Amino acid sequence: MKESAIALRADLTEAHERAWAAIAAPGTWLTGERRVAVAAEIRHAQRCAHCAGIKAALSPNAAQGEHAGLGVLSSAEVELIHRVVCDPGRLSEAWSKSVLARGLSEGEYVEIVGIVAMVMMMDRFALALGLPERPLPAPQAGAPTRYRPPGGKKKAAWLPLVEPEDAVEADGPMYPSPKAGYIYRGLSLVPQSLRDYWALAVTHYLPGQFVYRFESSIRAITRPQMELIAARVSALHQCVY
Amino acid sequence: MLRESMQISGKQVQVRGVTQGFDEGVDIPHAGALVELAEAVVARDAPRAAAARAALRAALGDAGLVDAAAVAAAFHGFVRIADAIGIPYTGAAGGRDVPELREEAGINAFYRMIGT
Repeated sequence: MKESAIALRADLTEAHERAWAAIAAPGTWLTGERRVAVAAEIRHAQRCAHCAGIKAALSPNAAQGEHAGLGVLSSAEVELIHRVVCDPGRLSEAWSKSVLARGLSEGEYVEIVGIVAMVMMMDRFALALGLPERPLPAPQAGAPTRYRPPGGKKKAAWLPLVEPEDAVEADGPMYPSPKAGYIYRGLSLVPQSLRDYWALAVTHYLPGQFVYRFESSIRAITRPQMELIAARVSALHQCVY
Repeated sequence: MLRESMQISGKQVQVRGVTQGFDEGVDIPHAGALVELAEAVVARDAPRAAAARAALRAALGDAGLVDAAAVAAAFHGFVRIADAIGIPYTGAAGGRDVPELREEAGINAFYRMIGT
């Protein structure tokens, strides 16, 4: 029997609209055309035989072969996208350095990771609800801003972060609180990517001010129900965070 | 975060279920269908997701189903940022993710923990 249409939250629908528009627009280091090509490669990676081989191997370094890319992006970009999409729990700092050594800048790396996170979130939401994947948007013309925050430092993570105390006005708004956790700081080397990502993520999960309010839920499921799903998805990805 | 949210409700949860699967006794309404949807979404298993979706829609209505799907999808983003940027896991969940809890949950057997 065919399912009837599922009523979606308006803020989710609007957030997805804004997110796809952001992906199509010129970014900080990538043009709109390249950002949409990243989105296409993200979807393509999930059918890559080499990625399936890596995932099945006891060690991700044991699998031999080449990614089946779409032929638009560089080999470093394809490696980054395919591994982050298909086997994120077995990445390492050595691997991230090897990707950068193949000619990708730190800013490009972080911007691509932000797009991966957004597209994966929206596509898996569609899958969960039995909705079709949204066609990729038409890229918007324009030049990337090439803005690198002056406070970006490599210290706690594999890539540089902008700690809340190092953020400057030119970065634009980034953190809801000076105590924002590392997950919030992850994309901070590219502030626009951080903003785009979190504008979407908070509508899926929770706005920052509700994250540690365990006693109540602003969603239609209880907090333990939310955290049960979150924990199981994270564990299946072997995410230690 | 799961343990914390349960404790606030005066309940307990075996956190080992996070990695090894939860048994029928977990004291969260519709836990089986919620986990089923989460696992189906990770596996990109559309038929399995459809079955879980039908069960959750009947149990929780559209709003509950949508929020369950939204959370499952959200963590496909969070994990990728954490793992690709290599953010430190110490202090995760606002410091609630203590080493003993990681051991109990089976997280210390994950690739990144073994390699450090």
